[in-house]
Amino acid sequence: MTWLMWSPFVANVILAAAGPRLARTLPPRAAVRLVPLAMLAVALGVGFVLAVLGVFVVAQFPPIAVLAHWSPAALRADQPVPALAGVAGTVILLVLLGAALLRAARGGSDLVRAAVACRRLGPDADGLVVIDDDEPEAYAVPGLAGRIVVSTGMLNALGTDERHVLLAHEAAHLAGHHHVYIQLADLGAAANPLLRGTARSVRLAVERAADEAAAAEVGDRRLVARALARAGLAKAVARRRRQPQTRVVLAGADTSIMQRTTALLAPAPRPRRGLVAGLLLLTLVSVVGTGVTAHQTDDRLDRAATGATVAAGH
Amino acid sequence: MTPSEVLAEIGGGLAYTTVMTTLSRLHDKGALDRRPAGRAYAYGLPGDPSAVQAVAVAQRMRRLLDAGQDRAGVLTRFVADLSPEDEQLVAQLVADLRADGHRDGDDVAETRE
Repeated sequence: MTWLMWSPFVANVILAAAGPRLARTLPPRAAVRLVPLAMLAVALGVGFVLAVLGVFVVAQFPPIAVLAHWSPAALRADQPVPALAGVAGTVILLVLLGAALLRAARGGSDLVRAAVACRRLGPDADGLVVIDDDEPEAYAVPGLAGRIVVSTGMLNALGTDERHVLLAHEAAHLAGHHHVYIQLADLGAAANPLLRGTARSVRLAVERAADEAAAAEVGDRRLVARALARAGLAKAVARRRRQPQTRVVLAGADTSIMQRTTALLAPAPRPRRGLVAGLLLLTLVSVVGTGVTAHQTDDRLDRAATGATVAAGH
Repeated sequence: MTPSEVLAEIGGGLAYTTVMTTLSRLHDKGALDRRPAGRAYAYGLPGDPSAVQAVAVAQRMRRLLDAGQDRAGVLTRFVADLSPEDEQLVAQLVADLRADGHRDGDDVAETRE
């Protein structure tokens, strides 16, 4: 059963390779919920197995072995990997753990700042804040009571029905707690850099999920595509008016508007039960592998401890 | 208030041009309103104080988004910036979708699905 110990690593490689595609193919709502979950399970599983490797290395240090009544010789004979691999695993674990903690701290502070911004944006009953500004802009700010910020420039760029799309899209972000899933996916990627591509695709899935929610609300996918394209164009025009010479690629530029409009002009996403089952299986394998490893490690340390007592008794 | 009134109010050794530049920058940021008064501008708060604060907060968040510094993904933007190549495609798309809308009006959904 020792091979089960490596199952989180296998799940990790599979998710790193298939994650981005999976997040694009799954229905956006399912992708937003399930992919970050799988990422966290894999990142935790891999982290736990690395920690176990570290435990065997550290436990063989004579002072610690004496304190815990372990026999270093028994530990050495029973350790799952060579000592050198154990040391390498420990170093990797510490680096990843540090990255994950930093990311968690930054995510937490950013969420608090967003909540504070929500309060300062004013007590709007319906959560909509209209800013008098020619620059077309619209975004959702999460908080205890989230806010949707829309500039007059954006409202003027859109027709009445397109404004409904915009508001439905941003309301879907807030109602679906999308910022939480982005945070979890990014945390998973910080703890496991192999999953960075998957975390990026979760961001696209979040936008797609809000687009689909808006489409369901207004009952017209083409209208959502048109609103997106119109808003993107209005932004580009305003940008050019402000900085006529700039032809360089902008920091915030990405290809997601094309991907999103293309998806909206295609038929609605299918359920994809097979892929959902596969993703859940991957998550389960990670969790089971972690559990089995915990159990085996406990057994191993127990055996080493008995060895020490027997040696002392005779 | 005109820059000279502001200068008289806050005193200190500030130059007139410093006050004028500061006021006009605040106006650029949307924090102040202004209207011509003689050869200068008279500045004032645009509406009530809470609206001023909301505008200031919104401006800060937009700078964050523009700089691509919202790495934590707290803010979710309706549309990001377009690359010049995508802009062409999107313009074409808007034209196509609008043409459709004119041709079959509100029956788009029925005739297509």
